[in-house]
Amino acid sequence: MQSGSPDRQPAVKWVLLEAVLVAVIGAVFALAANRISPRGLALTRNYFPEGTGRLVSAAPPADRSHNAAGTNSRAFDPTQLLAAELKEKGLQLIDRSQAMQLFHDPRFKQDMVVFVDARDEQPYREGHIPGAYEFDPYHPEKYFDAVLPVCKAAEQIVVYCNGGDCDDSETAAILLRDIGIANRKLVVYGGGITEWITNSLPVEIGGRNSGDVRNPGK
Amino acid sequence: MNTGQPNWKRIALNLATVLVRWLLGAVFLYTGLSKALHPADFLKLVRQYDLVQNSLFLNAIAAALPWFETFCGLLLLAGVAVRGTALTLMLMLVPFTTLVFHRALAIQSALGIAFCAVKFDCGCGTGPEFICRKLAENFLLVLLSGWLLTGHGRQFSLRFDLIKSRSRQRGSDVIRE
Repeated sequence: MQSGSPDRQPAVKWVLLEAVLVAVIGAVFALAANRISPRGLALTRNYFPEGTGRLVSAAPPADRSHNAAGTNSRAFDPTQLLAAELKEKGLQLIDRSQAMQLFHDPRFKQDMVVFVDARDEQPYREGHIPGAYEFDPYHPEKYFDAVLPVCKAAEQIVVYCNGGDCDDSETAAILLRDIGIANRKLVVYGGGITEWITNSLPVEIGGRNSGDVRNPGK
Repeated sequence: MNTGQPNWKRIALNLATVLVRWLLGAVFLYTGLSKALHPADFLKLVRQYDLVQNSLFLNAIAAALPWFETFCGLLLLAGVAVRGTALTLMLMLVPFTTLVFHRALAIQSALGIAFCAVKFDCGCGTGPEFICRKLAENFLLVLLSGWLLTGHGRQFSLRFDLIKSRSRQRGSDVIRE
């Protein structure tokens, strides 16, 4: 341990050199930590194919209604804006009644209609649409084995995330399309899990087909 | 002049500086880890600044920045390379705060609301915050980092100066004496 306070200031150049060393060692440490971390990002992957994202900078000024946190709002129709953005990317938007219709479709039981949850593991386990497959588009390699064969065989795939500002469903849908899933099968449920829960629809806790299905509003 | 009496003013200054160092270290450790544990969320927030178009650079920034903050936080808590770390943090904080300010201005202009009513997640690791509060916080962090540059408060530090030149070593020896 050192004690006391300096009687004279050290040369500025030593502090600068120290800062450069901290920056260099810190950068190496940071990249190594990211590499080791199971949640780390793959540096070479393009996480935003075709400019996905419904962000302030992406929206025309007249339509800008929210910031990143979605905390500011102005009167406008977000559904129309979302539908237009998805259409631009060749994706189709569905609303709650269509999502419910597909959820109750007899083909759902045979995995001909598939729900894909594009959130990460923790919120998925806290509650997802019953039977939905987990598919975090930022770590897709973890889920390809389970999700790809099902999506290839399915006739309709409903992708959702939190709803509102969340654009992960869009990212996941485009990712699935890019790896060979037919675009006509893919639809995005814009309201997402938030709208689903708000309407007291059933959610499944834990893993897929855990059997723990609850109706949050009832 | 040393009168043999404890210099309370100096002791208080050193103690305050150590506390500032620990506070800054804890803040950067917390904000760094909160982002490092959710890198995809941070990536999306960084992307909103339109800093770089290249995905490799974007990923590198989002992947490295949280761990870099964590690293700096650990250095400050342990008292290693304190002034170099403080300077690095200042050099990061000033341009980042400028970016946050410009983004807030853009949001204000788009929404037509008062500047201080702008609230968004700037990617600072503390979630959505009102911009005026955020700017004040960052200003305080810059000031505290600047305080650490003065070189006071060497107590409880493992290696206050990472680089010990001969002249600096002599200086430290004088101080110990």
